[in-house]
Amino acid sequence: MSTEARSRPALGHLFWWFLFSQGGVITALLLPVHVLVQGILGPLGIVPVVDRHYDTWVNVLGNPLVKLYLLVFFAFAFFHFAHRLRYFLVDVGLHAAKSVPAQVVFYGGAALVTLITLWIVLTTAPLSFG
Amino acid sequence: MSVEAQAAPREYRWRMPAGWWVRKRHYLGYMLREFSAAPMAAWMLWLLVEIRRAADGPAHYAPHSSPAFVIFSVIVLLFSLYHSVTFLSLAGTILHFKILDRPVPSRLIVLAMFGQWLVASVIVAFVLVWFAR
Repeated sequence: MSTEARSRPALGHLFWWFLFSQGGVITALLLPVHVLVQGILGPLGIVPVVDRHYDTWVNVLGNPLVKLYLLVFFAFAFFHFAHRLRYFLVDVGLHAAKSVPAQVVFYGGAALVTLITLWIVLTTAPLSFG
Repeated sequence: MSVEAQAAPREYRWRMPAGWWVRKRHYLGYMLREFSAAPMAAWMLWLLVEIRRAADGPAHYAPHSSPAFVIFSVIVLLFSLYHSVTFLSLAGTILHFKILDRPVPSRLIVLAMFGQWLVASVIVAFVLVWFAR
């Protein structure tokens, strides 16, 4: 049958779906606490937060574990966002979002954010183990 | 052979009617949830900027603290809680596995997911607050 001959494993889809699902888990577990502490409690002065002062922020950002954590967090979260927003556009009727150029734009954007994050964590605060 | 069999197979393209998602409240909720990834991504880009600000040096460093930013964070927090609760609750439906030949109850899986969320949140909050001293 011609339909059988044409079917092949959707490896590309598998790859993006893996990044999407892992990104979903990581973002679901980690984003709310960052928003609550760094976006609300810190700016309102309810609790002391590392990013309110230069010294403490640089000290934490210099930790290699923190650098690795931030890179993983941003990379997976943005591949998740890219996949989700692309399919959001498909859902609202923009079928061009399924095309290869759209994939290049969305996943390329996520890759770009990952590279920028890598550059930022490597150049912003000097490595320290304290 | 009939004419249909000779013709190249044609794909039946089903297209959702435009505006399908405004017809029911559930559809609207689903789309709102999908779309809310955009403000959450914007918030994370802000965090990236905040990280980069550490390169400004001690004299010029100024963390973001405008009321507008706090209001934005409150909205993003509500969206992200909605995402996390709905997603982690779904784990009981998605994950099926057995321990000692007995299926693990879905409620236990959901509970484990929420426990994991709590532990991760406590660790992150601890690092963010403890090292601020």
